[in-house]
Amino acid sequence: MTKLEAKNIEKYFDHDGQKLQALGGIDLKVNDGDFVCLVGPSGCGKSTFLRIVAGLDRPDNGEILLDGKPVTETGPDRILVFQEGALFPWLKVIDNVEFGLKIAGIPKSERSEISKRYLDMMQLTRFAESYTYQLSTGMKQRVAIARALVLDPDVLLMDEPFAALDTQTRDLLLVEMQLIWERTKKTILFVTHNVAEAAMLGNRVAVFTNRPSTIKKEIVIDYRRPRISEDENLSKYQQQILAELRPEVKASE
Amino acid sequence: MKKNHTWKRIVFYIALVAVWQAFDSANIWPDQVFPSPLEVGEDLVYSAADGSLFFGIGTSMWRLIVGLAIAIGGGMVLGIFMARVETINQTIGSLVLGLQSIPSVAWVPLAIIWFGLTDAGIIFVTAMGALFAVTINTYSGVKNIDPNFIAAARNMGAKGEQLITSVLIPAAFPYMISGFKQGWAFAWRGVIGAELLFSFLGLGFLLNVGRQLSDVSQVIAIMIVVMAIGILIDGFVFRRIENTVMSRWGLR
Ligand SMILES: Nc1ncnc2c1ncn2[C@@H]1O[C@H](COP(=O)(O)OP(=O)(O)O)[C@@H](O)[C@H]1O
Ligand SMILES: [Mg+2]
Repeated sequence: MTKLEAKNIEKYFDHDGQKLQALGGIDLKVNDGDFVCLVGPSGCGKSTFLRIVAGLDRPDNGEILLDGKPVTETGPDRILVFQEGALFPWLKVIDNVEFGLKIAGIPKSERSEISKRYLDMMQLTRFAESYTYQLSTGMKQRVAIARALVLDPDVLLMDEPFAALDTQTRDLLLVEMQLIWERTKKTILFVTHNVAEAAMLGNRVAVFTNRPSTIKKEIVIDYRRPRISEDENLSKYQQQILAELRPEVKASE
Repeated sequence: MKKNHTWKRIVFYIALVAVWQAFDSANIWPDQVFPSPLEVGEDLVYSAADGSLFFGIGTSMWRLIVGLAIAIGGGMVLGIFMARVETINQTIGSLVLGLQSIPSVAWVPLAIIWFGLTDAGIIFVTAMGALFAVTINTYSGVKNIDPNFIAAARNMGAKGEQLITSVLIPAAFPYMISGFKQGWAFAWRGVIGAELLFSFLGLGFLLNVGRQLSDVSQVIAIMIVVMAIGILIDGFVFRRIENTVMSRWGLR
């Protein structure tokens, strides 16, 4: 069943008075419970596309359908996890995690119950009372993921959430992310510029062309989980993705 | 390091008082013009003992707090609207920049005409002195919010009033606190200045009484009190809040 559909999404920006077309008509269908990775050259419009899916930006053309219905406003049914987490430094970890629940007017006791579950899932219970400046980058991203999951979104949108992490932390989170996906059965759209990351996470990897970008190719990765970064069988998929990606990166330089 | 600092300061102030005493002992100027540290100290003790000093401090502080509260409330509202509504910024914003350049005592004549020689007049001067510093800092604070904070909050369902109270204000708070601090400094100058001219209770009034009686030790004693309160509030209230905010917001 199709959960999310992007139909011919176009987006233009003004660049010193010049019109720059970032998205040249993105078509994408995502099934319920699918894990789709988006890769593409830097600056091709991946973040722009996720923001449009999240309803944080308007497309100049095309539409986003959720369960077949067009969505234009932003809302907790499509939660975006930012690269830098965008956690609120004035709130403790637990209050960051409960933020969306509080906005939704969910009473305190129920909020605590929900946040406890996800703090536990993300191994953050010890840090519940910490402020974000006391956390490592990896911990911050765990909080950002927990903050998204508590809202039980239909679609989880992730914009290079692990790009700033050191290799060990990232490998750990890449495995955990798969476990979380299996546990929560979320539909995930995950942007990365890291081919190995895409091969580890995605059921499908959609490769963006250079600007104005379209989806050039979708690669299906039907391989057992949880996949680990040391698994050499994944390199076959990485090569496949790279073969599509490399000419686009060249063209963008 | 910190201790060293304190020591230097203590030595400096002892030296300052010693030099002051030396000048006094040299009898260059008569005592009615240049009092000794002891005379000033005595004056402080007397006015503390008969309660007039504390009554003066209390009166000035009360006016300051009311005036500053008005300035903070009004300045935050104005600053937020200026930052979020372009038309308001282009119109009222330019006026705010102009008004900010008016020294607070310049509001005194207007205050007397509008409010008479009342507390309300002094509070008006105090509030006007602080209002625009709070406004401008709030404006910069909101303008400088990481756009991803606002995007994330909207994405999680925050809008309107909720967005303002749960994200805009706390995210802009590091700037706002500098606005409050500046506003407090202007308000403190404003309240003392206004009291001097209104001549009706408070520390500024006591300064004026000192002048009228040619009581130079009272004048200097009150000036020392005004300065001490300035230092104390700045150091114990604002610097503390600022330090907590800066480290928590990850700004250092
Ligand atoms: N708000 C904006 N204003 C102007 N140009 C923008 C804006 N956001 C993105 N762009 C431009 O659109 C293109 C795509 O950006 P982005 O979506 O961030 O790319 P990616 O995430 O794939 O690296 C870039 O050339 C970028 O400069
Ligand atoms: Mg990006």
